[in-house]
Amino acid sequence: MLQKVYDWVDERLDITPLWRDIADHEVPEHVNPAHHFSAFVYCFGGLTFFVVVIQILSGMFLTMYYVPDIIHAYESVYYLQNEVTHGLIVRGMHHWGASLVIVMMFLHTLRVFFTGSYKKPRELNWVVGVLLFFVILGLGFTGYLLPWDMKAYFATVVGLEIAESAPVIGGFARTLLAGGEIIGAQTLARFFAIHVFFLPGALLGLLGAHFFMIRKQGISGPL
Amino acid sequence: MSEKKHRVSRRQFLTYTLTGVGGFMAAGMLSPMVRMALDPALEATGDSEFVAVGLGEDELTEEPQIVNFELEIEDAWYTSEQPRSAWIYKDGDEIIALSPICTHLGCTVNWDANEDYPEQFFCPCHFGRFERDGTNVAGTPPTRPLDVYDVEVRDGMIYLGQINQRS
Amino acid sequence: MHRGKGMKFVGDSRVPAERKPNIPKDYSEYPGKTEAFWPNFLLREWMVGAVFLIGFLVLTVAHPAPLERIADPTDSGYIPLPDWYFLFLYQLLKYEFAAGQYTVVGAVLMPGVAFGALLLVPWLDSGKERRPLKRPIASGLMMLGVASIIFLTWESVDEHDWEAAAQQGEIVDDVEVDETAEGYEIYQSQESCIGCHGGDMLGGAAGPNIFESDYDKDAVMDIIINGADGMPADQFEGSDEELETLAEFIANDGQDPNGDDE
Repeated sequence: MLQKVYDWVDERLDITPLWRDIADHEVPEHVNPAHHFSAFVYCFGGLTFFVVVIQILSGMFLTMYYVPDIIHAYESVYYLQNEVTHGLIVRGMHHWGASLVIVMMFLHTLRVFFTGSYKKPRELNWVVGVLLFFVILGLGFTGYLLPWDMKAYFATVVGLEIAESAPVIGGFARTLLAGGEIIGAQTLARFFAIHVFFLPGALLGLLGAHFFMIRKQGISGPL
Repeated sequence: MSEKKHRVSRRQFLTYTLTGVGGFMAAGMLSPMVRMALDPALEATGDSEFVAVGLGEDELTEEPQIVNFELEIEDAWYTSEQPRSAWIYKDGDEIIALSPICTHLGCTVNWDANEDYPEQFFCPCHFGRFERDGTNVAGTPPTRPLDVYDVEVRDGMIYLGQINQRS
Repeated sequence: MHRGKGMKFVGDSRVPAERKPNIPKDYSEYPGKTEAFWPNFLLREWMVGAVFLIGFLVLTVAHPAPLERIADPTDSGYIPLPDWYFLFLYQLLKYEFAAGQYTVVGAVLMPGVAFGALLLVPWLDSGKERRPLKRPIASGLMMLGVASIIFLTWESVDEHDWEAAAQQGEIVDDVEVDETAEGYEIYQSQESCIGCHGGDMLGGAAGPNIFESDYDKDAVMDIIINGADGMPADQFEGSDEELETLAEFIANDGQDPNGDDE
């Protein structure tokens, strides 16, 4: 049955080569922890991606309840955390996932650095990886404001003051991020848009490039 | 040959295990999220409270009269007052409060409003009609009687509760 | 790709009608020993992922995500703290060489140089050698960077008053102070009380919310007369009777003790 459905689609779209490109390739043996236990360091990248997937999914579900408005944002978070079944768990996943993504990404960066995997011909992939690092830090910064509680608000105040201290463009950057002179309704709407649309868009694009390059070049050889 | 067919190759075995582990991960990740998304559908709807409509029991007559009142609707993190109305009258000792929402397409019905159909609830949208007790007149668009409110009398004042459908 | 005349397609599409045999590619010439990505490698990877997921779910269930009270921009007494992964940057701005007139150094220059260098690593360290011990400068600089981030984060965590932080953000039940009570009037006449606990009695510049702790009347009087930790003694400037009324009012959670509770 399944085979028939597959054949039907395959006849029309010729998907077998696609499948081959995505899944049917080889991986060097030295990155498999089953062969050398020390190879677990090669898992950090995959785990980072796994947490990113958790973040995207839990974030999508959270927006079912969340409203980006200074009057109702806090109440909606409070509601989904305390009144909605499993809301506490899903928000917890998003909250702790945010920290874990940073941890795993940090470890992944160190692994790539200390195995010298960024060297020719993989320079570009390293640059994309560092850009991903920035995007994820940006996601952390913008996401922190969204619950609109005390912690969120004042951390953003400090963060934007740091941005303001930059020479020449400081004031401009701060106003642009805050969406106005004060940190309030417009800031929250802006941070929400950045957190939910702009940065994830950039994240997906960069991740695509990251994976494409890995697939094209293969994993770097053993030391 | 036939024996070979029944044996699971190493590759197949790994693929099965792989889908198993993948399924476990997907389930572990998604089940709390899906449960959260489904929450409104699975949550038991509680009976709504009785609200005073500002009308005394002795003010009621056999003739249906409209009362307007406000109902506090708690919608998750947003609470609002919503206007409601009811046609109330006395049927012997019993107090009957009918919802004025036509069961056809949700227009508002009026008592005794059309000269051709006295002593009936009349819906101006598609000429649906209901008897005094709310029963739909056969041959008009509505297919079920008007909904009724739960009624309670406290200290001589009328209180209306939740709206019940009649088949 | 197969080219030439005589190719057949599905309908008028560009999909070739002839199925090519689905033979796995030959990887035997690739450098190093290899194994299949699907299913061999992915299975190991996902097993690690599954264990990771279990740990992660246990963490989320054991430690619910914190939520403080709703943002109140007027609360100037709040000590802010960024999320932990920005702490190193936050801490950096406390040091003299990176603060005050040198804020630019701490906020822009140092992080800018560090992250810029990170971005350009492949060109800064362009040698062929990959083993970390054989390129001591690159490895050393990275170690230094990691060590300083860990050190700064540690210092920041160490300096932060976590108890005060937990308290200042707590969700407090709304206390509706009865503003018609006699005790409230007495409170309003005491400059020194208002100075610390605020005009609404719910906490201010130096003092906490008055109704936060549960004391009875005598304990409240004792605190007002003799002070408590951080609170000076003998600040009340009124008659003993007034003091008593105020204490009763406070002990009664901001409601007039003589009034009816609706």
